[in-house]
Amino acid sequence: MTQSGWVPVALSAMIEAGTSAGVVVDGAEIVVWRDISGKAHAWEDRCPHRGMKMSFGFVRGDHIACLYHGWEYDESGNCQYIPAHPDLEVPKSICISRYGVAETGGMIWAHVPLGSEAGAAPELAEAEGLRSLYVDASVAAVASALGSDVSGSMLTVSTADVALSIGVQPISDTQCALHVTVPMGTSVEEKNAVLDWCEALRRQVENSEAMA
Amino acid sequence: MKIERVTFTFRGTLPVASFSEFAQHRAARLSVDLTSRSQSEAHAEMSVAGQADLVDAFEMAMSLGPQDCIVHDVIRVDDATEEGSKE
Repeated sequence: MTQSGWVPVALSAMIEAGTSAGVVVDGAEIVVWRDISGKAHAWEDRCPHRGMKMSFGFVRGDHIACLYHGWEYDESGNCQYIPAHPDLEVPKSICISRYGVAETGGMIWAHVPLGSEAGAAPELAEAEGLRSLYVDASVAAVASALGSDVSGSMLTVSTADVALSIGVQPISDTQCALHVTVPMGTSVEEKNAVLDWCEALRRQVENSEAMA
Repeated sequence: MKIERVTFTFRGTLPVASFSEFAQHRAARLSVDLTSRSQSEAHAEMSVAGQADLVDAFEMAMSLGPQDCIVHDVIRVDDATEEGSKE
């Protein structure tokens, strides 16, 4: 089932200023990038020129440039500069579609599907991103293994005496990403225990899927 | 800004619906005005007006065409160049 609403797409700490990354939500390819001032953006991951993934591109200040021919887009998604035609007044029709974007709970969120009206973003407590865990199993299979329900793209689990808030990103019917966050001030020992738990969870869920 | 007016005749294997849709999509993307003059499965004549570089880009895109089309020839007739504005 295709998700609608706010979906976590990355841990905030994983997207440094001036960098980009490609993510997938229910098959939709999204570039998540952070401009040099620290503002996060989530766009369709496709340059309108030749279809190259913008996540392969370069962040230049508050613009992102396509790897292929250097077409440069401002934070509104409008193309501002085409190196092969430096004198061209680039029309606003050459642009990239943007997702609603928010940052809360130590994660970057995108509002899907593309073009949907983005309501208020979830209000989550400040948290530290620990790791993003990519699992070859559906969201439902992960939730079942945890004996927990996904609510607002979040799972809450307690393990190793740490209350985890996990953002759930459906990638496809058979893949998902779990963005694992811990409360601020969690000790190194506790974090290591949570990381071990993450690996064990992935093995458990993927082995169950393989046996099914 | 200089606005160029050009008439293109494309010849080849050009299924009308897909070639027309492709032309309209590319024209909208490149912000050029497009008027279809005549069209069949073997040819399409179109008038285009816009910034010179974007009219060139339209020609390039149409010479590739959509997946089910094969463009063999492109005849370009430059009708006029004038000062103007085009968003």
